[in-house]
Amino acid sequence: MKNNSIVLVSLTAALLVNSTHAGAEESFIGWLLDFSRTKEVKPVTDKHYQEECGECHFAYQPGLLPARSWDRLLKAEAMRDHFGDNAEMDIDTLKEIHDYAVENAADKSYYKRSRKIAAATADGPTPLRITELHYIQRKHHELPEKMIKGNRSVKSLSYCDKCHTQADDGVYDNDTVSIPNYPDWDD
Amino acid sequence: MKLKESLANFFAVICLTVVAAMAHASEAVFEPELPTVASSYFNKHNFSNYRPYLLAQNEVPTAKSQDEISVTSFEKFNPPLFTGSNAHKFLGVGTLALVIATAVAPKPPEVEDRAPTQAELDAQKSSSHAKLGRAAATLAVATVATGLLYHWDDFHLEDGLFDPDNQHALLGAAGALAMLYAISKAPDEGHAGMGIAGGAAMAVAIKLTW
Ligand code: HEC
Ligand code: HEC
Repeated sequence: MKNNSIVLVSLTAALLVNSTHAGAEESFIGWLLDFSRTKEVKPVTDKHYQEECGECHFAYQPGLLPARSWDRLLKAEAMRDHFGDNAEMDIDTLKEIHDYAVENAADKSYYKRSRKIAAATADGPTPLRITELHYIQRKHHELPEKMIKGNRSVKSLSYCDKCHTQADDGVYDNDTVSIPNYPDWDD
Repeated sequence: MKLKESLANFFAVICLTVVAAMAHASEAVFEPELPTVASSYFNKHNFSNYRPYLLAQNEVPTAKSQDEISVTSFEKFNPPLFTGSNAHKFLGVGTLALVIATAVAPKPPEVEDRAPTQAELDAQKSSSHAKLGRAAATLAVATVATGLLYHWDDFHLEDGLFDPDNQHALLGAAGALAMLYAISKAPDEGHAGMGIAGGAAMAVAIKLTW
């Protein structure tokens, strides 16, 4: 029986270790007792975020980058030179979007891909691009360039929703991928 | 009893060794050609080596905004049903169901004070408890096998022990081992603890990446 209690204590410890990424909006117990699936990324729920950030590209889920990345990206000065574009917007809207992104960032989320991203970016420089995350790079490194930047309908890995048919719902599962112009990419 | 304890200790040592190896691997850089730790991607010094990973030419001025990209909306895409990862999922959930069924299934009374007769042994071996237990362990092994096969690219030592996929794989494998151990002890020796621990490890593993 003593051995069994050691096993149980280790299991509980494993769960608790994971709870270090506990979000402000959700509690550990809440997550534990919740049977809904959280293996992907939390979908965008803020209307302003969806509208403003979905204007030029797919509105990336905040759970794809840690809070400090969003804090750096979504400052008024930073938005004036947003990857070479001017993405300025009124200060109140930006504040709301900033706060929403920070509160739902990878390191505040219980969703699995977010937890992975949070764990991998806990130390080191602040990533500014999702496409620069080692996790995302690794997931795509087998894709030949002709399917991405050589693909008229994709152009860049940044356009997640071109290939991930359920990206709007935060779902990136391999089984939901369909690369435009390359129906047989899987072979 | 002696044997059971030494086996349990042996099992614990294996687990600890794996844990230690993973912790070690998260620090060591043993493959200079490839990034082995997530942070090394950002390491300025090595950065140029990782050009092959920069698939998307994000800096080119052509990929500016979505408007400039010709949109080919894919016809309504239906994810396939029979995929490897679905098989893994159903096997895992099935294992849990069988563990619960094993725990509640009727079993012949235990013989404490004397050696059981051949008839009693046969009854134990063919009880629904025994059959379900063996089925649960078999499914557990199949679950681990399909996990290794279809989720190989989710499991990286370099991510360390805090990575949910690594925790899932480790606990799942430990759970399957505990269940195999439990059926190897049954029916002569006590094995309820190991069986329950195996089921619990699998349950936690599923929850971590559910
Ligand atoms: C004026 C157009 C515009 C708006 C509005 C805009 N962006 Fe961008 N964004 C861009 C461009 C252009 C890029 C670079 C795309 C590329 O490299 O292909 C980019 C890239 C990004 C990236 C990096 C993607 C990668 O490669 O990983 C993030 C993150 C991002 N934007 C977040 C946001 C958020 C959050 C908002 C809402 C506040 C927003 N953007 C609004 C134009 C815009
Ligand atoms: C050129 C098409 C394409 C684009 C653009 C793209 N992906 Fe992917 N992605 C894929 C393919 C193909 C796979 C599956 C790779 C495999 O099976 O090994 C994948 C896999 C993934 C996975 C792992 C899925 C799993 O089941 O483990 C994640 C997460 C992911 N992509 C996120 C993103 C994000 C975030 C973006 C945008 C920043 C993005 N992808 C852009 C094609 C794409």
